[in-house]
Amino acid sequence: MIRLSVFAALLASITTAGARAADAPAEIKLGTLYASSGRYASISMPVHDGLKLWIDQKNAEGGVYVKAFDKKIPIKLVAYDDQSSTATAATLYNQLITQDKVDILVADSGSVLTSVAVPIARDHKMFLIDQTGTGANFFTADNPYVALMADPISSIWPKPLADFLTHDGPGLGIKRIAMLYATNDFTGTQATAVRKFIKESNSGVELVFDEGVPTETSNYTVLLNNIRASNPDAVLHLGYASNDIAFLRNVQDSGIKFKFLFSIYPGIETELLEKNVGNKALNYVFTYVTSMDIAYKNEFGMSLKEYSDAWHKKYADSHVEFGFNSIAGYTTGLVLEKGLATADSLEQLELRKAIFSLSGKLKTLDGTFELDANGGQIGELTPLGQFIAGEDDHLKLVTVWPHELANGKLVYPRP
Amino acid sequence: MFTYSLMAGVLFGLYFTLIGLGLNLVFGVMRIVNLAHGDFLMLGAFLAFWLFTLFAVNPVPAVAIAFVAFVIVGLPLYYLLVPRLLRAKDPEMLSFILFFGLSQVIEAVTTIAFGTSERSIPGDQLGRAIAAVAGVFVGHKVETGPVELLGQTFPAAWVASGIVSGFAVLLVYLYLYRTRLGYLTRAVMDNRDEAIATGIDVHRISAVAFGIGLGLAAAAGVFAPFMLGSITPAMGAEVTVTSFAVIVIGSLGNPLGTVLGGVIYGISYMFMQSYYSSWANLLPYVLLIAILLVRPSGLLGRRVRRA
Repeated sequence: MIRLSVFAALLASITTAGARAADAPAEIKLGTLYASSGRYASISMPVHDGLKLWIDQKNAEGGVYVKAFDKKIPIKLVAYDDQSSTATAATLYNQLITQDKVDILVADSGSVLTSVAVPIARDHKMFLIDQTGTGANFFTADNPYVALMADPISSIWPKPLADFLTHDGPGLGIKRIAMLYATNDFTGTQATAVRKFIKESNSGVELVFDEGVPTETSNYTVLLNNIRASNPDAVLHLGYASNDIAFLRNVQDSGIKFKFLFSIYPGIETELLEKNVGNKALNYVFTYVTSMDIAYKNEFGMSLKEYSDAWHKKYADSHVEFGFNSIAGYTTGLVLEKGLATADSLEQLELRKAIFSLSGKLKTLDGTFELDANGGQIGELTPLGQFIAGEDDHLKLVTVWPHELANGKLVYPRP
Repeated sequence: MFTYSLMAGVLFGLYFTLIGLGLNLVFGVMRIVNLAHGDFLMLGAFLAFWLFTLFAVNPVPAVAIAFVAFVIVGLPLYYLLVPRLLRAKDPEMLSFILFFGLSQVIEAVTTIAFGTSERSIPGDQLGRAIAAVAGVFVGHKVETGPVELLGQTFPAAWVASGIVSGFAVLLVYLYLYRTRLGYLTRAVMDNRDEAIATGIDVHRISAVAFGIGLGLAAAAGVFAPFMLGSITPAMGAEVTVTSFAVIVIGSLGNPLGTVLGGVIYGISYMFMQSYYSSWANLLPYVLLIAILLVRPSGLLGRRVRRA
């Protein structure tokens, strides 16, 4: 009797699996946007190329394994160019959902171009695969239709920076902080977090300059003069890559030497910043240390070295630089791959459930994938580092905070 | 802070004078709006980047190279596009569409050629040129780096672009008021139909003005990596909007009014950055609306538009 039951169960499972495989779609439609031009192109294209690399790799293997149909299914990429325009992006996100009827909706890179996707996805009950849109207000308890894949949520990015300033800062003589930030979700949230961390620390550290500028700002000379007039011990500049390029070039061209200078993108898009700003201007600059410089032990997908080799092979003739953003696009693919291998169906909330179930368990070249209850990414680290040039002028990013991760000594004040 | 903002505004405004000068000259002569103006500036910027990267050409000689190259490009481009446009019923309106299309084509082709990422020329290159020139005048070696003006320190690029801008305004003035071609150009600016009736070769005059307009845009582009942080193929549209605001403030069709428009824009922008930094980028649009409401003909009005 028992044997008969086991045989019946086995037969049923085989039949079900066969039926599921028969119902399987010919392809999984993955819809996304990218910006081939405009202000956000330099952060969008590396992410998009990273995602494409993953898709091409999976399709070359016959597709991605989808548990819901118990088979490998090729991925069809439906991608449109939003040209860095939020208005165009809004239209195209709608098109992906309503016209193309994509199975998976992936946001463009960065908080600005993701910001318009969040309400649209929510209205259509589509689970938004947010690649690098880190604005903290995207992730709320009442919105189950979004999760951040590959960058930490903005509100925790500056924690190591603020901890360093409030713990070690006073001992080094850092008490007066100047902060200049671009007024967008990515850096605006970080500025708010810095203010909060400093206020809560009661360390005696104070913000003596705290100004926001439009993200489109391309000239900082007058602002630098105003910052200098506030006599700060440390200057924090929070902006996108183009902001950082203009800011750091203006610092150098103005001949100003701040004792402590922090900006975001030297650690994220190092190659791009080196090309535009130069090693001399980057020397002694503090920045976030990302998975570009932390050799995480990956348990899934390629290692940093393997991925870097694959990227440079595939995009050898491309004008797109390899950096943290290119890792982010590939990481998104890895999370999706695991999610599809876990989800019982392609229903949006089932996909969400599957991806949330990976939280804390998935370790890629980008670190630990871990989500908070609202979908914000909290597993990845953003330690504080400082670029220090060696004798051959080659820049090395030295991790200086937290102490347990530090691999070198910081230089303060800047010589 | 006030003095620095004021002086920085004048220098920054002079740069935008240089940007707007060509756009206004083209409008003044042909009554068409070149919406691809910012894209020609971008091309000038990439030419300078390319000259520096491949041949280590300093940006200062690149200004002359860019100017001449784009004057040469402008002449056939004029004959290709503008005469047909001027035969239309409403050339001013059609010019918006045509040059918008041209702008898109230029941006797309440049993106294919150079990619989407930011590009720059090392910031000390203009400083070196200024130091070399200053060294000739003072008779000893001058250190490179920022330049001190009236007790305030500015990046060398600001001073260099200010000088070149002043020089460009002077040349345009001399061209318009001291050369035979300039007299004819002013005649066309004053009344195109009367100029034709008097036997002036209007197309030749306009082609030269169009070429000079593009040349000035390209020359301004050489300074873009220094004044605007970096260059990308997509930078053109924003530059066009700002330069359009600048020439409307001064007076449409009046190249010399561009100086006033540029300086007013520059000073206002720097004061906005100093005192209301979050709102600074709204300035071109606010000024544009204010001028159109209060004095639609621009601050210098009809006087020079009628030449």
